[in-house]
Amino acid sequence: MKRILILLIIAAMTCAAQAKVDLVTLPTRDTVQLTIYNSADMTLVRERRALTLKEGKNNLQFSWENTLIDPTSLEMLPKANADQIDIADLSFPPRVRNLGLWNIQSGVSGKVPVEITYLTSGLSWRAFYMGTLTENEDIMHLQGYVRVTNNSGEDYENAQTRLIVGQVHMLDYIEILADRDYPYDRPAEKIHIDLDLEGYTEEDKFLLKKELSKIMRNAPRQKQIAKEGLSEYFLYTIEGTETIPDGWGKRLLSFEADDIEIESLYKYDENRWGNQTIRFVKFANDTEHNLGKTPIPDGNVKIYSLTNEQGYLSYVGGTNIKYIPVNEEVELNLGPARLVEIEPVLMDFKTANYLFDPNENITGWDEIRSWKIDITNTRTLPVEIEITRDFGTAYWTLESQTLYEKHDITRARFNLDIEPRTKSSFEYTVTTYHGMRQEQINQ
Amino acid sequence: MNMKTKTTIAFVLLLVAGGTVEGRIKLVALPERAATVIRLDNPQATLIEEERVLTLQKGLNNVDFSWKSVSIDADSIRLRALDHPENVRLLSVSYPPDEAALVWDISSDGDYAETVRISYLLSNIDRLITYKAVADKEETKVDLKSFIILRNFSGEDFEKARVLLDYGEAFEQGIDHEETKQLLFLKAPDVPIQKIWTFDSDKLPWDPEELENRNVGIPVSYRVVNNTDSGLGKFALWGGKARIYQDDGHESTIILGEDNAILVPVGEKMELYIGDSRDIVVTQRRMPGSGRRVNVQRNRSNNQIIMYDTDEEIVAKIENFKDSPAELTMIQHFPGEWDMEICTLDGNRLTMGTDYKKKDANTLEFEITLPPRTESGPATRELRMVYHRRHVRPNVTPEPTPRVLRR
Repeated sequence: MKRILILLIIAAMTCAAQAKVDLVTLPTRDTVQLTIYNSADMTLVRERRALTLKEGKNNLQFSWENTLIDPTSLEMLPKANADQIDIADLSFPPRVRNLGLWNIQSGVSGKVPVEITYLTSGLSWRAFYMGTLTENEDIMHLQGYVRVTNNSGEDYENAQTRLIVGQVHMLDYIEILADRDYPYDRPAEKIHIDLDLEGYTEEDKFLLKKELSKIMRNAPRQKQIAKEGLSEYFLYTIEGTETIPDGWGKRLLSFEADDIEIESLYKYDENRWGNQTIRFVKFANDTEHNLGKTPIPDGNVKIYSLTNEQGYLSYVGGTNIKYIPVNEEVELNLGPARLVEIEPVLMDFKTANYLFDPNENITGWDEIRSWKIDITNTRTLPVEIEITRDFGTAYWTLESQTLYEKHDITRARFNLDIEPRTKSSFEYTVTTYHGMRQEQINQ
Repeated sequence: MNMKTKTTIAFVLLLVAGGTVEGRIKLVALPERAATVIRLDNPQATLIEEERVLTLQKGLNNVDFSWKSVSIDADSIRLRALDHPENVRLLSVSYPPDEAALVWDISSDGDYAETVRISYLLSNIDRLITYKAVADKEETKVDLKSFIILRNFSGEDFEKARVLLDYGEAFEQGIDHEETKQLLFLKAPDVPIQKIWTFDSDKLPWDPEELENRNVGIPVSYRVVNNTDSGLGKFALWGGKARIYQDDGHESTIILGEDNAILVPVGEKMELYIGDSRDIVVTQRRMPGSGRRVNVQRNRSNNQIIMYDTDEEIVAKIENFKDSPAELTMIQHFPGEWDMEICTLDGNRLTMGTDYKKKDANTLEFEITLPPRTESGPATRELRMVYHRRHVRPNVTPEPTPRVLRR
C-alpha cells in the first residue's frame, strides 16, 4: 500500500500551516533507489518525482502516515534549474503528525525533476552461505546469498536495490526517530538513544521485528550483483530493479565460487573449548581460492558434503562467520570433531628446588609436569592440528622434541600435520616456577 | 493537540482607581504584539523581546501581564518605555496570588500611546543545529550544510518574529506552538577533510583471535578544521548531530554514519566518527617473558615482596587489507612508572618526540602509515615496544592513571 503522499499546494495565506487549500498535482515516483544497511536498521531512500511548479512561492506537502520514515532526514533537491529554485525551509506544522511542508521559491514554471531523500527503518538484508564439500572434503563449492526483507510499511515498486556491507556509526535508531510525536522532539527531552544500550542487543533488536515472510519466486535468470568499495563500506548493487512489497522478502545469489581448496584444521585449547577438539575448515578470501574479489560479509554458513555420486548430501555443520576482508584467512568453526581426537594425559608430576627462609618456611619451589598428547585421526585425509597450552603463569620453561611457538606470556602452541588413519603422540615437560624461584630464574 | 491554541500571553491595560490589586477593574485596551525578537544565542534559555503599544493616561496606570500554559521565568520579565523613557516610569511590580501574572504600576506624566518593550525568558522554545556533509568519492573534501531547527513548544504562537542567533543576520520567521521548522543557514562546498583510523589499546580488544568469530572495528573519523582555508572560520560551529554521506560516483550517495559534533571554535578541529573499519586488523600481544619480576625487594624478614620492576614486551601486528593506504593513529597506555628501552617499527628504531609523541605521563601516540594490500596478502607492519615498569608495589595502584594490563 502506498502511504507516502506528496501534494503540491497553492499557498495563499501567510501561515503555511493554514495554507493547505488547493491541490495542484499529485506527482508520482519516477524512480526509486534503496540503499539498505545491515549493521543498522536503516535504508537510504532516494526517489525522483517531477513537480509542476509555478513561478513564485510553492508549497509542497509530504506525508508518511504508517511508515517508518525519519523526518529529520528528509531532504529535497531540484535536479534541474537548481539556480532558480530555492527550497527555503521545511516545516513540520503543529497538531499534525507525519507531515512536512516544503516552502519552495521558484523562478521557473513547469515541470521540474526533484530528488527526495530520507532514511527509513524496516528494510533489512543479511548474507548467508552454503558450502558444499566434495566427498573427500578437500574442495568446497561456496554460494553466497543475500536476503532482503521489507517491513517498512511502504511498498517499493521497481526499486533499484543496493546493499551496504560495513559498520556504520549511528546515534539514534531510525525506528525510534520515526516514531516520535514531533520530528525533533520537544525541547529538553532526551533526543539521543545510545546504540550500545545495555540489554538492547542485536538479537533483541532482531526479535523486535516482525516475523519474516516467505521467499519470493525465482527469476528466470539469476540476477548479478555488482560490488564496489566506498570508504569503509562495500556497496552491492542488484541488477535491474526489484519490487519488494511491504512484508515480503527476497533472496538473491550474491556470488558463487567453485573449486575452493580447503584445509581441515583441528584445534584444541582448553581455555576456549574445554576438553573438546574443534573442527575447522580453512581457506582464504583470495584469488588462489577462487575468491578475493570483495570482502565476504558476516553471515551464517551451512556446510554440506556430498556423500555419493548421486549427489546426496550430508549436513556437516553450521556456523556464523565474521566479515572477511580480501586476502584474509577464513576459519569456519564446525563444532566438536567426531573423527579426530586429541587427549592430553599428565604422565608425571614432581616438585623440586625448594627454598626456605631462616624459619624453615618454604619460600620457593618448581613444579615439573610431563604431558603426553595423544592424537587420533580416523579420517581418510591428512589433517592439521593446532594445540594451545596455557601454563597460567609468566614463569615457565618447556622442553619438547616437538616444535612449538611461544604464543604469549602464559601460552605455548604446537602445530602438527597428522597422516590419515593414524594414531600419534608427542610429549613435553613444562616447569613452572613459584615463590622466590621466580626471582632466581630471572637473575 | 488537535485544537489550535490561542495566544496564551495576555496583556491587559487597566484603569486604576485605588492602585491596589483589587483595583484591576476596567479594561482599557488589549494591545497587539508588534515587533518580536526571538533571541537564540544562549543555548540555555531563549529570550523573547516584544513591543506593544500601551495607551497610557496621565497619572498611575496598572498594566496586567499574565501567561497561562506558558512557562515564563517571572523574575526575568523586564519592561522598558521606548518613546518617553523619561516621562513614563515603572514604579513597582506586583505578583497576584496563585496566578501566572504580574501587575506593573506605571506612572505617566501625560497621555501617551507608548511603545514598550517587554523581555522575558520563555521555556520550551529553542533551536538545534544539524549538519549534513557529503564527502566526495575520494574522501578528500565534503560539501557541508548546516541547518537550524526551530522548535516551539512554548504554548505561544509567533506569527512573525525576528530570529537572532549568536552570529549571522537576523531573519524573519513565524513559528506556531508545536511547530518545528528546519532552515538552511550555512553552505560550505569543498571543505577539506582528513580521514583517520584510530586504535586505542585501552578501548579495543588486543587479540582478535580470542573474540571467537567477531570482527574488531577500528574507528574511522573525518577531521574538519574550522578556518578560512576550509571555507569556514567565520564563527564557531555549534554542536549538533552531523550526518555524513558520500558520493558513490553513480549520481547517488550512501550514508557513511552520524556523530555528535561538539562546539568548534574558529581555528579548531571537528572530528566526526563515522564508523568502523574491519579491513585494518590490529593484533597486539604481551610477549613471553613479560611481567616477570626483576630487582625484587623484600622486607627485613624476607617473607614479603615490597617492590619490584618488570620487563615488558608488547608487539602489535597491524594488517591493512584495504586496497588503499591508510593513516593509523595508535594510542598506547603505560600504567605507573615506566621507561621505554626499545621501540621499533618493522625493526627500525623509533625515537620518542621525533617518531612518536608522548601525550602524557602514561600515553604514547604513534602515527603509522599503512600501505595498501598487495596481490600476495595484506600490508603488514609491526610495532614493538620493550619497556620496564619501575617500582611496582604489590597492592598499590599505579598512579596517575591506573589501567589493567592485559595479556
